[in-house]
Amino acid sequence: MATYDFVFDGLGLRNWCGESGDDGGGMQSMAQLLAQTSGEEAETSVMDTPFPSMDALHEACPSFPQSRELTSGLEQGFLAIKDSLKVVLDPLTQPLSWTLENALWIMQAVPWFIMIPLLMAIAYAVSRSIKLVGLVVLCFSFLGFVDYYDYTMQTLAIIFVCAFICVLLGVPIGIAMSRSDRVQRTMIPVLDMLQTLPPFVYLIPLIFLFSVTEPKLYGIAIILYAIVPVVRLTDLGIRLVDPDVIEAADAFGMTKRQKLFNVQIPLALPNIMAGVNQTIMMSLAMVVIASLVSAPGLGVLVLRGIRSLELGVGLLSGLGIVLLAIILDRVTKAALARINAGQSR
Amino acid sequence: MKNDMTDTEIKISIRKLYKIFGDAPGPALQHVRDGMGKTELLESHSHVLGLRDINIDIPAGKTTVIMGLSGSGKSTLIRHLNRLIEPTAGEVWVDGENILEYNEKQLRDLRKYKMSMVFQKFALLPHRTVLQNAGLAPSVEGQSEKKYADEARKWLDRVGLHGQGDQYPHQLSGGMQQRVGIARALTSNSDIMLMDEAFSALDPLIRTDMQDLLNELQAELHKTVVFITHDLDEALKLADHLVILKDGFVVQQGEPQHILLNPADPYIEDFVSDINRARVLRVRSVMEKTPDAAGTRAGDIDHDATLESVIALSEGDTALSYRVMKDGTPVGTLDMRKLVRALVPSEQSSDPEGARRSG
Repeated sequence: MATYDFVFDGLGLRNWCGESGDDGGGMQSMAQLLAQTSGEEAETSVMDTPFPSMDALHEACPSFPQSRELTSGLEQGFLAIKDSLKVVLDPLTQPLSWTLENALWIMQAVPWFIMIPLLMAIAYAVSRSIKLVGLVVLCFSFLGFVDYYDYTMQTLAIIFVCAFICVLLGVPIGIAMSRSDRVQRTMIPVLDMLQTLPPFVYLIPLIFLFSVTEPKLYGIAIILYAIVPVVRLTDLGIRLVDPDVIEAADAFGMTKRQKLFNVQIPLALPNIMAGVNQTIMMSLAMVVIASLVSAPGLGVLVLRGIRSLELGVGLLSGLGIVLLAIILDRVTKAALARINAGQSR
Repeated sequence: MKNDMTDTEIKISIRKLYKIFGDAPGPALQHVRDGMGKTELLESHSHVLGLRDINIDIPAGKTTVIMGLSGSGKSTLIRHLNRLIEPTAGEVWVDGENILEYNEKQLRDLRKYKMSMVFQKFALLPHRTVLQNAGLAPSVEGQSEKKYADEARKWLDRVGLHGQGDQYPHQLSGGMQQRVGIARALTSNSDIMLMDEAFSALDPLIRTDMQDLLNELQAELHKTVVFITHDLDEALKLADHLVILKDGFVVQQGEPQHILLNPADPYIEDFVSDINRARVLRVRSVMEKTPDAAGTRAGDIDHDATLESVIALSEGDTALSYRVMKDGTPVGTLDMRKLVRALVPSEQSSDPEGARRSG
């Protein structure tokens, strides 16, 4: 007799269940098998009362689904809508694949003696700091010296593309959230989910949707993971703009559009830039995980280090990622500091 | 500049204006119209009474000061004039048009061309230079910086910020920032200037400077200024027309001298009791309008002189009597005894001019 027979008996569902308490069909648990071999029913005390889970209820009523039927049902359901989902998502995300492929190609095709000065120039334009340019040269020279130059460039290409798209999508979403409480209320749970869902988990449906050879697979994974801070901080930044200044803008007859572009966004820029900084950092973190689904770059080396226990490769590529993170962080922070200095009150 | 209010043109006229803050102001408004007070409304209906039955005529080309303590609704009231706050009921007429019937476009034009505003906390755009801030109004219209630079620079010079155009607001002191705020309002070339506690955040010396600056500008430009303050000294210094608010309704309005000599209720008596009356009251408010009365005259004094200056002139001799002159012609007589009586707040009923005016 199963513990929860009374539920189905009480509800008069015994007929729907079929024969009662019989474990002739279906899978048997280890405990049941053990009980069978020892030839006696397992003693049941009150302390052993199982939680009324799907499996426990299934025991009482064979028609009740087991929990693994739920997981396989989810899988079947996903596979069923997969094709129609692909019809919509494939063309939408195709530009991402295309951009990533081209960015990877360009970053590797440009010879190092042009690329490193170019990166130096970018670092200087953004930060106006010679010290920082020195750091950039030092890090890239080191990575080149240990023959990781190509991997570094691949990682950098992926980060540039993904962070750019994050900003492109995230800032408008953040603006929409700041302007409407309803949009904010619906977006916040989504952002919370994206931020807390373990990154490996949303790799799985993506693998089903796209072929592992397509760059957009890891592109989407990185963007989903990294877009959250820029959205949140854009929303926050615009909501934090001094209401007195907004009132002044209203009092001088600005339209909503003028207010957004001439007052709110410029004043929210320090917060938005802090979001961009965090977004870049998070895409760098995700690049390593994305190498599980064929993202090229330093992550591949880390993965190789783990898979074949090459300690040296793992450590060195890990160090490479740290150096890249330091450079990206310092350069974006220097840009942020310049904006802050421009408008401190 | 403090002249009689009669036969001046009315620029803004506020009629039966009510403002109730809360979720359902409609039913609450009915209660207020039936005579419910602020505290009662808050306790029994949890709505806040902002303004109650406000009727004010604001004369063109003059400074109207709206005074009240914090919570009296003065900042709420000034925001109704350019509809930064929407009223619950009532009308606001500007140049003969009810601005509450304006659509969004008309309202923006009103704010761009007819009214400008100066704020307590300056509210300058921190990412723009002083010149760009001063030129906010033309830049909202879509003019380029090159086009409005001359006009903006002219007003920056006028308020005493010569050569500061390239600074950023945070590089200036509070007083200078508010000068930018005033220049910004002037650059818009609007007739009406709304000033919401414009000098309250400044320290006393700078505040006096700014009051002088405003009086100077007013003597030259004759804008219609609506000035909000909680400071009676400031109000008396600036006002041609004074409106005193308490708990969201108008307790008394009129010429400042008149209010000082004839406070309408104990609240205002309280208010005016701390004032240095000798410095504020003018000869014309206390004189007898009998220029040809018998008796000897110690000399001639101007009708707009303060009582303080007359006391200095008489060296404290209360037996003297002066002839009061206005533009070269005698208009009245001032007896020193009467002057001294006017310095005591309780001596109000015997003031002939006040008795004539209150009606």
